[in-house]
Amino acid sequence: MRLYDIVVLVTPDLADEDAAKVAGEYKKILVDGGATVVKEEPWGKRRLAFPIGRRREAHYVYWQVQSEPAAVAEAERRMGLSDQVLRHLAVRVDEELKRQAKMTERLRKKAIKRPPRPPALPTEAAPAALERAERAERSES
Amino acid sequence: MRMGGGSGRPGGRGAAAGKDAKGGPRKKFFVRRRKVCKFCAEKLEYIDWKDIKLLQGFIPERGKILPRRISGTCALHQRKLQTAIKRARSIALLPYATD
Repeated sequence: MRLYDIVVLVTPDLADEDAAKVAGEYKKILVDGGATVVKEEPWGKRRLAFPIGRRREAHYVYWQVQSEPAAVAEAERRMGLSDQVLRHLAVRVDEELKRQAKMTERLRKKAIKRPPRPPALPTEAAPAALERAERAERSES
Repeated sequence: MRMGGGSGRPGGRGAAAGKDAKGGPRKKFFVRRRKVCKFCAEKLEYIDWKDIKLLQGFIPERGKILPRRISGTCALHQRKLQTAIKRARSIALLPYATD
């Protein structure tokens, strides 16, 4: 099972409910293929960044789906055949998200291990560093 | 030759402060801030192609992808940004070109 981000653009010629119905068909294909819908967000009617087939708007529907690749491939194939779907995009995201999660986890651990530094005291040991910092400050302004 | 563009070289000041100050003070026209990769700074590993607000910051008026030399993005993140923008374009969230 893999995690996918899927976006479908349905023609603006259809009313909101009909567009949702069309999108629902593809969701059904996915679910029948053994997928579970993690997130579902209808973005509604949005303006396109450029016209597609003389249309300047489209109904955007977004799902995040935990699915086998075959089900996604089948849904995408059908989307391509449909006239009511202007564009579609399915992207596998699980690996990227895992990497991101690992990164944030590592950062969190690091933050715990290293307590916040006590305020540095201006000791005689580092007058050179101080001077350098001052100079840098001056040149910055 | 690209001279005087100066975006490739981080101003030399930082390096000169560490070593000796040979060559004397540099002529300063304005203070150039060191460019830092935005995604490295915010520790963003995954660049979401659905986040149009974020991506739009890297799309100048013309609709092209802002080059690294201007935005200061690191190579790794520029590559990720590039695919994210291209994905967003394919579903008409971002323009391919505008004029």
